Amino acid sequence: MRSLCVVMYSISAFKNFKNTVFPPVTYSGPVSREMSQKSERRGIHVDQSELLCKKGCGYYGNTSWQGLCSKCWREEYQRARQKQIQEDWALAEKLQREEEAAYASSQGAQSHPQPSLAPFSKFEEKKTNEKTRKVTTVKKFFSPSSRTAPKKENHEGKTPSPSISRQASAETDRVSRDFVDFLKNLQKPGRDIHKQCRAFTESMANKRDLSADELSECVQDFYQNMSDRLMTHFKGSTDRVERVMDQVEKYIMTRLYKNVFCPETTDDEKKDLATQNRIRALHWVTIQMLCVPVDEEIPEVSDNVVKAITDIIEMDSRRVPRDKLACITRCSKHIFNAIRITKTEPASADDFLPTLIYIVLKANPPRLQSNIQYITRFCNPSRLMTGEDGYYFTNLCCAVAFIEKLDAQSLNLSPEDFERYMSGQASPHKQEPGPRTPAGPDGSPALSTAHQNLELLNGLGVRQERVLEAARNLESDLISWREAVEREVQEILAKYPLEIRPPPSAIDSDNVENDRLPPPLQPQVFAG
Amino acid sequence: MILYILYVYINIILPISLADSFYCFDLLALLTMSAQRVDAKVVMLGKEYVGKTSLVERFAHNRFFFGPYQNTIGAAFVARQIQMGDKVLTLGIWDTAGSERYEAMSRIYYRGAKGAIVCYDLTDRSSFLRVKFWVEELQKCEEHCKIYLCGTKSDLIETDRTMRQMDYHDVQDYAEEIKAELFETSSKTGKNVDELFQKVAEDIYNSTTFQLMTEEKGVDLGQTNNSYFYSCCHN
Repeated sequence: MRSLCVVMYSISAFKNFKNTVFPPVTYSGPVSREMSQKSERRGIHVDQSELLCKKGCGYYGNTSWQGLCSKCWREEYQRARQKQIQEDWALAEKLQREEEAAYASSQGAQSHPQPSLAPFSKFEEKKTNEKTRKVTTVKKFFSPSSRTAPKKENHEGKTPSPSISRQASAETDRVSRDFVDFLKNLQKPGRDIHKQCRAFTESMANKRDLSADELSECVQDFYQNMSDRLMTHFKGSTDRVERVMDQVEKYIMTRLYKNVFCPETTDDEKKDLATQNRIRALHWVTIQMLCVPVDEEIPEVSDNVVKAITDIIEMDSRRVPRDKLACITRCSKHIFNAIRITKTEPASADDFLPTLIYIVLKANPPRLQSNIQYITRFCNPSRLMTGEDGYYFTNLCCAVAFIEKLDAQSLNLSPEDFERYMSGQASPHKQEPGPRTPAGPDGSPALSTAHQNLELLNGLGVRQERVLEAARNLESDLISWREAVEREVQEILAKYPLEIRPPPSAIDSDNVENDRLPPPLQPQVFAG
Repeated sequence: MILYILYVYINIILPISLADSFYCFDLLALLTMSAQRVDAKVVMLGKEYVGKTSLVERFAHNRFFFGPYQNTIGAAFVARQIQMGDKVLTLGIWDTAGSERYEAMSRIYYRGAKGAIVCYDLTDRSSFLRVKFWVEELQKCEEHCKIYLCGTKSDLIETDRTMRQMDYHDVQDYAEEIKAELFETSSKTGKNVDELFQKVAEDIYNSTTFQLMTEEKGVDLGQTNNSYFYSCCHN
C-alpha cells in the first residue's frame, strides 16, 4: 500500500516539477483524489482511507503490519506477544501439574520417596544447563535453540519467565503433551512407561560428563529394556511395540537433544567444519564427472532436485533421530523421482548413489557429521539397521565417505586437472556452453533469486533515472521552446513595426481630374 | 529515489519471495514417510551391469511370494514378505552401487547384513574376479553374514553354449571352499530366482538370531544387553 502511494506521489511530483518535495502527510486533498480516479481507470482501486493506519492516527499503514503504522503495530505486537507468553506460561503449568499427577498416581502404590518436583523446575534446569555450558565454541552460533537464551537471561535478571528458551520449551511441551495423550490410550502400562521415561531423562541429565559412546550405550540399553518389556506386554505384537517405541524415542530424544547432540566430549564439531570446507572446495564438481543420470534441463527434474536439497538441509532442524531419518528418506524419494523422469525407468543403486553424492555436494547440509553421529548413536537400532530409512541413511554415510576420500581417479580426471580445480586455478564450467548463471559459487536457489531481484531493482532504478532525465529534458525543452518562440515574436515585431495609417476619408475626395471626364450619360427619350 | 526503491523491495518483492519459500515447506510437510518393519537385511553385491537390479526386480514382482508388492519408486531398496511356515519373514533387499569408485565404501553397506548375494555375469570372466574381493571382505568384516554366489544371465548360455566363460564346477568348488551356496539364475526367464531367495529366507529363518528375536519369552531384568540388535550400531 505504502509503496503504491509513494509511486503516485512520485508521479504527481513529475507533473508539477517545481514542487518535487513530497506533500505532507496531512495533505489528502486533490492529489490523491485525482490519483484514485486515475487508478480507477486502470482497474486498481485504492482509496485514501485504505492507505492510512487502521487506528486512525493519521499516519500511513502497511499491509505487512496488518494495516497499522509502525508505531501502532509495535504497540499491538507487544500486547499479543505478552499474551502469548502468558498462555505459554499457563500451558507449562498445566503440563507440569498433569505430569506430576500421573507421576504421583504411579508412585502412590510404591510409596517411593521421590521428592516432588517444584513447578518450573524444567526451566530452572534449562537455565543451569545454559550457564554451565561454555559459550566459546563456534557451535553456539549454529545451535538455534540455545542462541538467544543466555542473552535474554541477562536482561530479565532474577524473574524466571517462560520466554526463556521459549522456542525450545514450547516444542518440548508439545511433545510431552502428545506423549501423555498417546499413553492415555494404554492406561496402566502407559503410566508405567511415562514414569520410566521421565526417570530416565532425569538420570541422563546427571550424566553429562560421560563420553558420547557411553551416553549412546545408556540410551540404547533403555530402548532395549523398554522394547523387551513391551514385547512381553503386547505378547509379541511387533507393530504395537514399534509404535510405542517411536513415541518413547520422540519423547526422550526431544528432551535430551541439547545435551547429547554434538557433545563437547567429541570432535564432531571439528569434523563438521572439515566436511563443510571440503564440500565447499569441491564446488566445481559437475554432473558429468559423477556420472549422475539426472538432466536438470527438464523442469520437473530440477524441481525434484531442489526439493531433495531442501530436505537434506532440513534434517538439521529436526531433533528426533527418526524425524531426521524421515528427512533423508524424503530427500531420497525426490532423487528417485528425478532419476525416473530422466531415465524413464526405475533407478538402481548405481544411479542413486552418485545422485545422492551430487545432492550432498550441492546442498552442503549444515552439521552433517554431527547429524550422522547423532542418528547412529541414538536412533532405535531396529529401524536404522534394516528398514528402508536405514538403507537411505547408509547411502548418505557412503556419500559422505566418498566425498571425504574423493580424488582425481574417482572423478575420472587427471591428477593435474584435479589439482588445478581444487586450487581454484581453473574451473570446468568455463569450457562448458551450459547455461550456468554465475550467480554464486554454490548456486543456492534463494541466493540466485535474491540476485535476480537485485538485478531487477537495478534495472528499475536505471529506468527510473532515465524517465526522470527525460522529464527534466522535456521541462527544459519546454522552457527553451517558449523562450525561443517569444524571442522570435519579439524579433519579428521589431523587424516589422506595426504602423497604423489613417483610413481614406472619401472615395472621390482627392480625385483632381474629375472635370476632364465626360459628363455622365443621361437617359434620352427617342420618339419614334 | 533510493527510499522509493527500498519501499518497493520491502513491500512487494520481499513478501513474494518469502511466500514462495514457505509454500514450498508446506508441501514438503505433507509428504509422509514409509515405516515398514523389516526383519533381516540382505545385500546385493557385484560389479556394474551384472544384473543385480534385474534380479531384485524379478524377485519383487514375482507372484510366487506372499503378500502385496510394495510399490517402490526405484529398485534400490525392496522390502518383501515371505511366508515361512506359520510366520512371515520380511526381507529388506539392499541394492549396492557396483562401480569400482565406490569400492571403499562397500563395507558401510553390508554392515549388519544377514545374507549377501554376490553376483557375477556367467558370460564375463572379469566380473568373477570382483566376486573374490567381496567374499574376502565379507569374511573379514561380517562373519555372521551368509554368502550366496549367483551367476546371472543363464538364459544367454542356454541359447549359445560358447558364451559361458565361468565353468559351473570351478565355481562350485570355490563356493564349497568359502562355505557358500551357488545359484545360476536368469532374471529374464525367472529361472532359479525364487529358489535363491527362498534359500536365503530359509537360512535366515533357521538361524539362531531370528529365532531369538521372535521368541516370546519372559524378560530377564538382570540380563545385560549384548544382542545382535545394536552391536552393529557402535562400530
